[in-house]
Amino acid sequence: METFTLQQFVHEKLASSLRVGIIIAIMSLSSVNAAEIVVNQTVPSKQYTLAEVRAVFMMRQQFWPNGERIKVFTLSDDDFLHKDFVKNNLNMFPHQLRRIWDRMLYSGTGAIPVQLDSEQEMIDKIANTPYAIGYLNSRTDNEKIRLFEYQ
Amino acid sequence: MKKYAYLNTNNGILLLSLFCLSGIAQAGIVPDELKFHGFLTQGFFHSSDNNIFGQSDDGITPGLTEIGLNVSYQPLDRLRFTAQGLYRRDGDVDRGSVKLDYGLADLTLWNYASGRIGLRAGRVKTPYGLYNETRDVSFTHPTILLPQGIYFNRSRSLLISADGGSLYAEQRTHYGDFSFKFNVGVPLGNNREIRSTVLGPDAKGEFQAQPAIAAQLNYEINGGEYVFAVSYVDLELEYRPVAGDTFSSGEAHIRPLVFSAQYNGEKFSLTGEYDYRWNSVSNFGTSFPDFKSVTESWYIQGGYQILEQLRANIRYDVLYNNKNDRGGQRAVALGLPNHAAYAKDWMFGLRWDMTTSWMLRAEYHRIHGTAWLPQADNSIRSLTVQDWDLYGLQLSFRF
Repeated sequence: METFTLQQFVHEKLASSLRVGIIIAIMSLSSVNAAEIVVNQTVPSKQYTLAEVRAVFMMRQQFWPNGERIKVFTLSDDDFLHKDFVKNNLNMFPHQLRRIWDRMLYSGTGAIPVQLDSEQEMIDKIANTPYAIGYLNSRTDNEKIRLFEYQ
Repeated sequence: MKKYAYLNTNNGILLLSLFCLSGIAQAGIVPDELKFHGFLTQGFFHSSDNNIFGQSDDGITPGLTEIGLNVSYQPLDRLRFTAQGLYRRDGDVDRGSVKLDYGLADLTLWNYASGRIGLRAGRVKTPYGLYNETRDVSFTHPTILLPQGIYFNRSRSLLISADGGSLYAEQRTHYGDFSFKFNVGVPLGNNREIRSTVLGPDAKGEFQAQPAIAAQLNYEINGGEYVFAVSYVDLELEYRPVAGDTFSSGEAHIRPLVFSAQYNGEKFSLTGEYDYRWNSVSNFGTSFPDFKSVTESWYIQGGYQILEQLRANIRYDVLYNNKNDRGGQRAVALGLPNHAAYAKDWMFGLRWDMTTSWMLRAEYHRIHGTAWLPQADNSIRSLTVQDWDLYGLQLSFRF
């Protein structure tokens, strides 16, 4: 009987430490992979809404509140960061955005975002393009780039 | 058939230049303000009976090629120029031709926080159903063949694009995004296929399209998770008879009204469209009395993402050229088999998105009826068969 309870105790300990381990792993994973929307410092500060951010990336909202044209940058559809951004920041699916962009591009009814090859290129473009918006995986200390705030 | 034996050198050159251009565009040699995009598609078909995209019966035809290249330039915040060239080969319907698919100036008249109103002028794509504006871009629709009851290949020229203008309005609300287009313009095209649809295979004159109206109201919820649309087109064709023609200079009027609904989930999608089309022909002379009919077509289509890059699609598509004559008595009177009056098509297809720029897909059709078979590929209609199978394979690239 005693050995049984000891075994049970060990099992419980193991299970709980495993649980803590998993939670830590998930937390660190999510902090590594959480996309953050970033903008060039010239973009006017305002409390933007999720609907507005979606409209920006769907290329339906084309101007910032100060009247300047929005420059949208994205990564490839199969890029992990892009998928993460579309799902978790926009609450959409990548194929929904693709459908909307393709319809505009091939029917001549609108421009699509500029697609970049890497996160480093994203940092360069956002930093050097006035009124640019995009997303990054990790925080950058480039003073020309600002986190984009929205609710 | 010899004429399909060569995937001719023209195609090779076009292909090569497209790849070069894609390289140039990516290498950033062209200025940033000019944006280039393009696509290329090659399809192969085999059928148990009847021909489509060339000689598909008892063989394999490479009769579908689509190569497109578009460019856009934005000189001002509110003004944008864009154009797309399209090379297309479609069996005996089109042996290969280059056309300006669209070429327009887009002027935003009024831009505000939740929408905009603008004007497009030039050659503008015709909004019609969910897929028409991008029907020649394989990536933008799930299957090789669009549902033929609504998106006829044979009379495509009437609905591709029109020379004129388009007034558009977009409004974003808490309940979803609305967009509206109102187009007026002269449709493009060679209308030989329409001639045989309307007047039968013996007519020799030419149909000329008059300025047409196309309007579409589109409503999307949650970034296109749900899409609803109503489209209406008003087309008028005038017939120019040739010497010794049995038909006099009459008119044909075609007015389709299409209702569309689509659900785009994470893995599952469901699409349905219904087309109610008023047709009337008048003044073709004593041998061809005035006639009115209603064409009815609908389809339902489901898709499921089996693997990350692999999608299965299934569809049932129905067409009755005349909903009051489903058996085809009039087709017989025009000298056609009765099964030229209807078509019911079961389709099963697989789409493999190998990378973001390469796609391969295959599909199988079991078809009852021949209503949407192109006349050019089947010049002797009495030889067409009511129940037939169609197999398709397609490779596409884009940049």
